[in-house]
Amino acid sequence: MEYGTIEREFHIDAPPEVVFDVISSPVHIREWWDAETDIELVSGATGELVWADEATDRAHVSPITVVEAQPPRLFSFRWVYPDDAAAAPDNSLLVTFRLAASDRGTVVRMTEAGFREKGWEIAVLEEQYTEHVTGWDLFLPRMAEYVKHLVSVQ
Amino acid sequence: MTTAINDDLWSAIGDPTRRRMLDLLLADGGGTATTLSEQLPVTRQAVAKHLGVLDRVGLVHVTPAGREMRYQVDDAQLARAVAQLSQVGATWDARLRRIKLIAEAIQRSTEQ
Repeated sequence: MEYGTIEREFHIDAPPEVVFDVISSPVHIREWWDAETDIELVSGATGELVWADEATDRAHVSPITVVEAQPPRLFSFRWVYPDDAAAAPDNSLLVTFRLAASDRGTVVRMTEAGFREKGWEIAVLEEQYTEHVTGWDLFLPRMAEYVKHLVSVQ
Repeated sequence: MTTAINDDLWSAIGDPTRRRMLDLLLADGGGTATTLSEQLPVTRQAVAKHLGVLDRVGLVHVTPAGREMRYQVDDAQLARAVAQLSQVGATWDARLRRIKLIAEAIQRSTEQ
């Protein structure tokens, strides 16, 4: 398990072709991510993920760049990087979906990496990983206590 | 709702020295650049610089204390940071559940 990565693996009772389409097509991204997007399934293609709220159609916007699109096995993209920059390992989060046919269904392995580069080690630690950078052994338990306290007084 | 990400906040908390400083400020109920530098392997000047970063993102607030400034952790901002951090995994779990539901619904409709 690579330090700095969120990993999830789960089974879906649908073939990889269906799952790939749900994960990668704008019509379905609208459903599972609540985001409008114009992304094309071509390596290097760029676009936007756009979330609306009550007040505006563009309440949150993130750029997105397709890294790899190999239907129905692999879809990866970078997001959360500055609008005026190209997506790169040190300025973005890399999301990767790997699909494998399994027993009339699909095993999906999803990772989101890049937290470390963006200063997100704490997010990984929230994921209960065991490797710590110096200082966390003390900080995290105390912070958990502290937050519990904050919650209890609210 | 989406993952509205505050890069400055994550950058501030992403540095090991600054996290250690937050830890000490929580443990001691506050501190100054001097008291922190006594407990850390960095100079008082470096500590002051780190405190400036924490101050800019609202993780600490400052009150004058004699010739120095006294820093305390800002409860609300720290709670907000922690809440967002723990949301990272949870929000992906919610998205992945939806992917599963949608794909399986499509598959059931094609099998019928």
